[in-house]
Amino acid sequence: MARVITVTSGKGGVGKTTTTANLGTALARYGARVALIDADIGLRNLDVVMGLENRIVYDLVDVIEGRARVRQALIKDKRLPEMYLMPAAQTRDKDAVNAEDMIALANEMHTDFDYILIDSPAGIESGFRNAIACANEVLIVTTPEVPSVRDADRVVGLVEASEKGPPRLIINRIKPRLVSRGEMLSVDEVVEILAIEPIGVVPEDEVILSSTNRGEAAVFNAQSIAGRAFDDIARRLRGEEVPFMDMSEQPGVLERWFGGLFRRRAKA
Amino acid sequence: MGFLDNLFGNNKRDRSAQVAKERLLTVLVHDRVKLTPDMLEQLKIELSEVIARYVPNVNPSEIDVSLLRGDSSDHLKADVPLRRTPPTGGNESDRASARFDSR
Ligand SMILES: Nc1ncnc2c1ncn2[C@@H]1O[C@H](COP(=O)(O)OP(=O)(O)OP(=O)(O)O)[C@@H](O)[C@H]1O
Ligand SMILES: [Mg+2]
Repeated sequence: MARVITVTSGKGGVGKTTTTANLGTALARYGARVALIDADIGLRNLDVVMGLENRIVYDLVDVIEGRARVRQALIKDKRLPEMYLMPAAQTRDKDAVNAEDMIALANEMHTDFDYILIDSPAGIESGFRNAIACANEVLIVTTPEVPSVRDADRVVGLVEASEKGPPRLIINRIKPRLVSRGEMLSVDEVVEILAIEPIGVVPEDEVILSSTNRGEAAVFNAQSIAGRAFDDIARRLRGEEVPFMDMSEQPGVLERWFGGLFRRRAKA
Repeated sequence: MGFLDNLFGNNKRDRSAQVAKERLLTVLVHDRVKLTPDMLEQLKIELSEVIARYVPNVNPSEIDVSLLRGDSSDHLKADVPLRRTPPTGGNESDRASARFDSR
């Protein structure tokens, strides 16, 4: 029986697709059979982030409307033979799918995979509702910014009301230097405000951009700090106890001694 | 560093993260309670009906209801002006305040 895990956020552009791609890849690297479902109908992106855009023949809506079998629509990953992608339809809108369709799809895929990860669209409308309809677990991604945290709180309320069990939190794009200067919400503060269990913290990392450019998940890159953070989350999903990365990076020596002076100068 | 920070006006409360936290906690009180304008109007009317059983001269349209964040719980605060009888002119009124925990 697969664990069906939906990655959602409320606010757009906070890292759902990046998270889905990296967690799926990390889990598959540990030997799990993984299916990724892109539920962002009309704005599909998981295919390009995974570097599989040239292999698409059928999509999610083709399966739901009976034009293709699940097996025909699933695209095998380039590198990991146990990982597959179900692409979203690009030329349709979200009304082409409903919650029952998603539940039926997940039921059909249950026995062939250990994990089914679903990349949710932003928002709290039908696309989001479809994406969580078949989930047993929900991961909520936020950045440490006011609008993102606020929207995450809305989604926490909706997920809690939907009897999925408590959602878990991923705080993405944290900048330790800004946190230590008091100019960015810290992990502890975001967790305190949202009052849900964190499952991971992912720092801002330029490698995310270059990995996305190449269509290869950052978890393949041992130099990538975000890649390591996603790998940690995957291990926690597998039930391992992995300590959280220390995000309290100290400011540089100059900054520490002269920070006050510089800031004052900047204000004047 | 704390001393220097204060000296240079960089004390912790001015940092944008602290401001962000305060603002978020306040906005979330409103988001979480989900009182629609209609519900708010109805609340004021029913509140004035109850209060009028004990205190004269309550006008629902003058009741001011606000949501506030407290340390251990959030509060729904209702400010209920009581018109003086006979009217002393102007908008002068005594105010009765009622506090209800919102969770
Ligand atoms: N940790 C990170 N460090 C640097 N850049 C990041 C990080 N996480 C995400 N990004 C970048 O942020 C942008 C948005 O990411 P992504 O597409 O994963 O968000 P999304 O939540 O799926 O967006 P949408 O709501 O549009 O589906 C991308 O350009 C991505 O490369
Ligand atoms: Mg996305």
